[in-house]
Amino acid sequence: MSSTEQGTSSAAPAEPTTAPESAAAPEVPESFYYVHGKDKVVHKVSAGALQHSALIHGMISNLGYTEEQAKANPFPFENIDGDILQMVVDWCNQHKGKPTPPEDTNLPKQKEKLFDLVLAVNYLEIKELLTYCCKQVAMMVKGKSPEEIREIWMIPTDAEDEAAEKEAKKRAGKEAAGETAAAAGDAK
Amino acid sequence: MPFPILRTPFVVLSEIISILEPNEAVTSSFCSKNFKCLLSNQYRHRKKFVMLEAYMVDFEDDIRVAIAPGMEETKIVLSVVPMSKLNESTNKVVEINGHKAEFSSEVPIFYFEDKKLGSQWIVDYVTGLFNIDVRRLAIGRNSTWAVDWINSRQEKSMNRVLLVEPTNNDSKADEAVDYVLKNARSSDWIGIDEYVSDNYRFNGTLGPVQEVSISEKGYWVTCDNLMNFDAIEIYIGNSRLTISDLNPFLRHWRAGGSPRLEYLEVCLENGTIFENFDDDLEVVRTDEVGTYPVSFGDPVVIHNCYSIQRMDGVKALFICDRYFHFIVQHGKATSWRE
Repeated sequence: MSSTEQGTSSAAPAEPTTAPESAAAPEVPESFYYVHGKDKVVHKVSAGALQHSALIHGMISNLGYTEEQAKANPFPFENIDGDILQMVVDWCNQHKGKPTPPEDTNLPKQKEKLFDLVLAVNYLEIKELLTYCCKQVAMMVKGKSPEEIREIWMIPTDAEDEAAEKEAKKRAGKEAAGETAAAAGDAK
Repeated sequence: MPFPILRTPFVVLSEIISILEPNEAVTSSFCSKNFKCLLSNQYRHRKKFVMLEAYMVDFEDDIRVAIAPGMEETKIVLSVVPMSKLNESTNKVVEINGHKAEFSSEVPIFYFEDKKLGSQWIVDYVTGLFNIDVRRLAIGRNSTWAVDWINSRQEKSMNRVLLVEPTNNDSKADEAVDYVLKNARSSDWIGIDEYVSDNYRFNGTLGPVQEVSISEKGYWVTCDNLMNFDAIEIYIGNSRLTISDLNPFLRHWRAGGSPRLEYLEVCLENGTIFENFDDDLEVVRTDEVGTYPVSFGDPVVIHNCYSIQRMDGVKALFICDRYFHFIVQHGKATSWRE
């Protein structure tokens, strides 16, 4: 399993780096877990930061891993791009043990990554970050006309919907015909 | 950068829709029939939107629908402008559902030849999209049709109905006032701000409603009207009633009439010349202080009052200076709004 400095990607195994911590050192030694995305880059994240994710929190709450076991068993999120997972990890670290303020300036701003970020955050069940991302999506259409909204949100026109529906029906018809033919062939 | 909203999981889509302001939801509903359907289903099934209500305005050339979450600030979502005002060379017009529409201003505009049809269309569209009723109505004298129209299209009564003061007062609005008083079903408030002729009289009953407000044009209100308004609060401006005229009202109340009444305020146009109350009313002077949390502004406090007692023991305090303030001491004279 590979692990690298945060934000860099490498397939070579390396010692994972500790995610940025808050200034005040915890009295009780904190436990850490390891996650990686599609790029296999491992991120070391504290249990406190991971509490934001209901999914991961649920996974780790009963594990009782030692540091070594945790390191040896990073959570794989193969469906999440490495850079997206990095953003999520950064956000979780920045908000460790703190509620998200209504206007959070530490949140990822990359609009081109918003869709992937939304999917990842939804999958990881990070409610506060999801709400913020959804606000960003809603903000995109403020003051826009239906035509502009259609472009921004990639909503098909009625004509496109009708064509897609026709196509789907046609395909379903073909598939049904194919199945019937296959069944007839089997019967012979 | 585009965001393929329809490819997001349902829970995300639902969250985004719930964040949209009502006007943004209405505008985006015009993207496609399917998207409108999706929005409509969201509003139909989410408890969060239960408090939304529609506010219809049809007053002279001001025709619009607003969405109000309860009594909070309203948000105009659609408006209608007469087709005669459309200039296609300067206005960026698009065709939506067979109607000419414009989205360049803050509030989407639909152009209609027939203002009434336009008004009905935008109300139907918005109430259908959000699955809500029209709860507030403000109309001009030429739009009284809206009262019956709304009554017939929804089971729930409205909660606020206002007949708006016209911008020109060339003609009298006796019919409009009469129509609204007789037909408007409103649970919370009925307001009349219209001019009627000097000989206009209202012979019907009104209510039950929480509050009746006949603003500065209350010169037509008779003592019989006061007795027949079934309301908790009544405000009458510029009344031509005198204290003598109010004796029958006091007698009526004393005998158990207007049992829901908590507060009556009549602005006496002619001021008050000292007049005695009829002996049988047993009105007495008192040093008690009456207070009432009126719907607008600070609570009314009256000193040096008169007191009158109902047969069942309930008392009312009142004063007669330029105003006749009548406060029933129900022992529960906190406002119905609380």
